Amino acid sequence: MTRWGMAVDVRRCVGCQTCTIACKQEHGLPAETAWRFVADCEVGEYPDVRRLFLPMQCMHCAQPPCVPVCPTGASRQREDGIVWVHDDACVGCGYCAMACPYQARHLVHTGSGYFETPTPSEAARAHPERHGVMTKCTFCKERVDGGVGRGLRPGVDPDATPMCALACIAGAIVFGDLDDPDSRVARLAADPRAQVLMPECGTEPRVYYLAD
Amino acid sequence: MTTATTARCRVMIPAQPQVLWGWPAVANFVLGGLGAGWYVVAVLAAGFERSPGVTVASWVAPVLVMAGFAAVAGEAGRPRRGPRVLTRLRTSWMSRELLIGIVFVSLVAADLIFPLRLHRAQAVVAASLLALAQGFIVRRARGVTAWDVPIVPVLFVLSALLSGGGAYLLVETGTGRPLTPTTVGVGVALVAAAFVAWGRYLVWTSEDSFVRAVAPLRATGSALVIDGAGYGLPVLLGLLALATPATAGPVLALAGALLIIGQAWAKARLIRVAGQLRPITLTIALAKRRSS
Repeated sequence: MTRWGMAVDVRRCVGCQTCTIACKQEHGLPAETAWRFVADCEVGEYPDVRRLFLPMQCMHCAQPPCVPVCPTGASRQREDGIVWVHDDACVGCGYCAMACPYQARHLVHTGSGYFETPTPSEAARAHPERHGVMTKCTFCKERVDGGVGRGLRPGVDPDATPMCALACIAGAIVFGDLDDPDSRVARLAADPRAQVLMPECGTEPRVYYLAD
Repeated sequence: MTTATTARCRVMIPAQPQVLWGWPAVANFVLGGLGAGWYVVAVLAAGFERSPGVTVASWVAPVLVMAGFAAVAGEAGRPRRGPRVLTRLRTSWMSRELLIGIVFVSLVAADLIFPLRLHRAQAVVAASLLALAQGFIVRRARGVTAWDVPIVPVLFVLSALLSGGGAYLLVETGTGRPLTPTTVGVGVALVAAAFVAWGRYLVWTSEDSFVRAVAPLRATGSALVIDGAGYGLPVLLGLLALATPATAGPVLALAGALLIIGQAWAKARLIRVAGQLRPITLTIALAKRRSS
């Protein structure tokens, strides 16, 4: 059984936002929407202060609170664990965003671009079906599914790997099958330093963070 | 200088206000609760008989409920897909709210056309469930610290009864119909009980993010409106009405208006101001410097 997951080594992340931009480009996201971002965090109090970067995205929880609250069934979870939104079924009520503890869902209000009129690139990658509906990270399921269909290994073969993991300049983002004990992501997730965000929420995230 | 390392849970991304649910959502919760509560109070006060108060509530309460639905539909990104909201009754309280609202309106309409105690009793159950469903909608918003609290559904039911009771008081006193001391006494007890529940909610947990989120509800301005005008004064006015029946009419009318204002204000503040998204935390180690 495949169970897609991700491991993020925050010790490696330099906060360059390459993953953010790669995601926006891959999915043709409008100007005001980013399915992932890297938070620039300063923790502690002077002089005991530390700065680190925290890549944030959908956690593709095993127990996603966003799915059962959805009144239309647009929020769905696949057997391989990917949580996604069916654009054509979403009413855009925003309830899933209220249910998500990780601030990972975004309502696309308009298809606005960066300029008064869409650039040729923006026009070519426009997604009018996403206007007025909730959107989120999909673990690049089209790339993953397409790669699997061609016999590739997501997380290993670039053409089958989510763009954020592929684009990361520091190798901080690792994607793969958590149920494959030989996969790098499974080994990282098993690292004693690996943790999930806010385990007290009981959502069982499938994005693991490695921190000191 | 030496260092010691301590690993503990730290806030990486602070809480921030939710922005997706605005005044239309508030209108839905306020109008839905008001309509549902008004009908319940009117029917119960009349002992399930067809009184003038029940007739007024039967005409106005469904309109309030539907107005709430219309308001919140306008906030949705794709309102034309509204009927799809009925498709996830097994898991979503938002689906259940809409279905219960439709059932409530249908039962009240049936009672207006074919007056039956059975219709009224069923409509009271539906109205109560509507208020409960609204509470559970908020309760299941796991991403909002101040909403993800077990007592919230109870608060919404009590709020519906209070605001509905306020509307009932306004109509009854406005039309010169006297209220029995028993009715007033039960109302005072209900307001007092709701006040206790509200106070319990405000101190539900000592978790820092919750305390910060509900701080605006405890601030002086909100406390004056919610605690003072919404709970305290109506109780005092109710007791005054019991003590001096001659002036009960205007006193109870004032109490009714205050109940509506207090509950509407409380819901608006709960959704718009206390609606803070959960802060993102991570357990990390931090070196602490010590002078040698």
